[in-house]
Amino acid sequence: MNDLIVKMTTKLVLPFIQLYGIYVIIHGHLSPGGAFPGGAIFATSIVLFTIVFGLRIGQKRLPHHVSSKLETSGIFVFIVFGLTGILMGYQFLTNQEAGFPMGEWGRVFSAGFIPIITFALGIKVMSAVVTLFHTMMEEE
Amino acid sequence: MINIHFPIFILTLLLAFATIIPLQKRPFDRRFQVIMMSVLVVSLVMAIGELIYVIDHGAYSYTFGSYERGIGIEFLVDEFSVLMTAVVIVIAFFILLYSIRDLEHEIDPSRIYSYYTLIFLLLFAMIGMIFTNDIFNMYVFVEILSITSVAIIAIKNKKDSLMASMKYLIMGTIGSITVLMGFALIYMVTGHLNMTLIAEEIVLVWEQYPLNILLAMGFILTGFGIKAAIFPLHNWLPDAHSSAPTPSSAFLSGLVVKAYVFAIAKMIYRVVGPDISTNIGLTDYILIFAVLSIIMGSVYALSQTDIKRRLAYSSVAQIGYIFLGLGLATDLGISAALFHVISHAFMKSALFLSAGSIIYLTGKRHVKDLSGIAYTMPVTMTVFCIGTLGMIGIPATSGFMSKWYLGLASLDAGQPELLIVILISSFLNALYYLPIVISAFLQEKPSRETIVVVSTQGTTVPRSMKISMALVGAGVIIIGLFPNIVMDIINMAVPTFIE
Repeated sequence: MNDLIVKMTTKLVLPFIQLYGIYVIIHGHLSPGGAFPGGAIFATSIVLFTIVFGLRIGQKRLPHHVSSKLETSGIFVFIVFGLTGILMGYQFLTNQEAGFPMGEWGRVFSAGFIPIITFALGIKVMSAVVTLFHTMMEEE
Repeated sequence: MINIHFPIFILTLLLAFATIIPLQKRPFDRRFQVIMMSVLVVSLVMAIGELIYVIDHGAYSYTFGSYERGIGIEFLVDEFSVLMTAVVIVIAFFILLYSIRDLEHEIDPSRIYSYYTLIFLLLFAMIGMIFTNDIFNMYVFVEILSITSVAIIAIKNKKDSLMASMKYLIMGTIGSITVLMGFALIYMVTGHLNMTLIAEEIVLVWEQYPLNILLAMGFILTGFGIKAAIFPLHNWLPDAHSSAPTPSSAFLSGLVVKAYVFAIAKMIYRVVGPDISTNIGLTDYILIFAVLSIIMGSVYALSQTDIKRRLAYSSVAQIGYIFLGLGLATDLGISAALFHVISHAFMKSALFLSAGSIIYLTGKRHVKDLSGIAYTMPVTMTVFCIGTLGMIGIPATSGFMSKWYLGLASLDAGQPELLIVILISSFLNALYYLPIVISAFLQEKPSRETIVVVSTQGTTVPRSMKISMALVGAGVIIIGLFPNIVMDIINMAVPTFIE
């Protein structure tokens, strides 16, 4: 797509979409939203970028090997935090009893490991959606 | 005390390995194969350790996050679910050992890593479904399982396998949505998602809402019935199982279908309870469809000429046996059904793996082309023969023992006419299985010279494929000769189904 207006608008809108995606992810444990909606919102920014600037430049922004590593690490963060509960003598995914700081109620840094897991899963969802989109574009 | 965490360790190990595989850069080599098999061995060791613990200490429930029941997701680790996990891992080990050489010529080499990712996710979802005690958690695992099982068919990328997987995807999605609808109706009546709490609640309220519970169970049985391929809902299965790569066929027919059957058993007996199920007429419906499945599956199988399609239709009939046991709603019926879950897993895997290696070596799928093939492929045809005899129910195979238990159960429940159904079905089984074996072993045809010449894969089946087939076949014989190994554990678990 070789339209100046579309390109400029995309460049303007892109940071705001990404910021909103990160906001939804980070406030996942406080407000409606969370890893899945937030990750999908963040991914739409990259999808939009790929649609406007073409697959080649889009893939340069988030190459396939990077997104697959992000996906794997998202799952791994979840597993590691889950197993910490067992390591501390409780059960899988134990949060407060396993010694994660609870923080102040209603703040972003609260609820133990839940913000961290939400963030990891948000990145995982983002890279999964982008990988799906890029793969579908490649096969066209 | 570390033993109580073993189900979690198995699940996280499988999940972690599934996510590591796509990062592999090296070609598919010996090192990766060894790591893959050792992951399965480690999980098998943990499953056996768990089995010993559960036999000693009894069933227990495991809540995630140390929350109380009803808030956190719960796993119910009982004797049968652990035994089933061990069987799943054992059969998965043999099938993957077989697949290492077989896959090369069935799917595109660049997709081999994706295939194993899918297989490990499939195992993860299956084991999760076996353990879970939470209906929404079960729905999540059902979705993972249906998507991965569609993908391991479509990965072959041939026209017929793509068509079959599309059909399976649509049917499977309808099934999942139907199941979710049923879960929603149950949640509406009881206000819980935890199976144990639902079971406590449903006893109190079922007289007020009998229609609602019947409707919910109707949705759930239809949804899982589509996925488990009970008779009128089976029509995706023959296409899917016959066009898939051989390891996928063995996985789907031997294991995946059983996970859904076990989910149905949980829903009928643990959630609703045998008394209420009988009272609202649920078990009668199950018996009708089970009998239809047993007869019609065999009748359809008779008319098939493709060897894998014949095996696939025979799966429909065998699933009917399991439902027959479940529909009887007695201790003996349930234990016979659960026994057949395990014995059929071994028999059908043996049959699909041996049929797959016939196709591997000769490329022939038509039943008439197989005469005299036992001269060139003795090991394969022996395993096929064992599987066949098991399906018919010849003594000393596990199929005989499951038919024996089913017969005893139907007599015990006062329904001797079901015994006649089992006998008729055995004759039908003999009718469509024995000609293959007889012509393979006893007829001689000039085609056996041409087999050797035509073959492009060398003149024999690779050793790893032979070993895995032979061990699955040995499993059929061992369970047939010593059924108590399995039956004792099942008898321990049955009281957790019927309180």
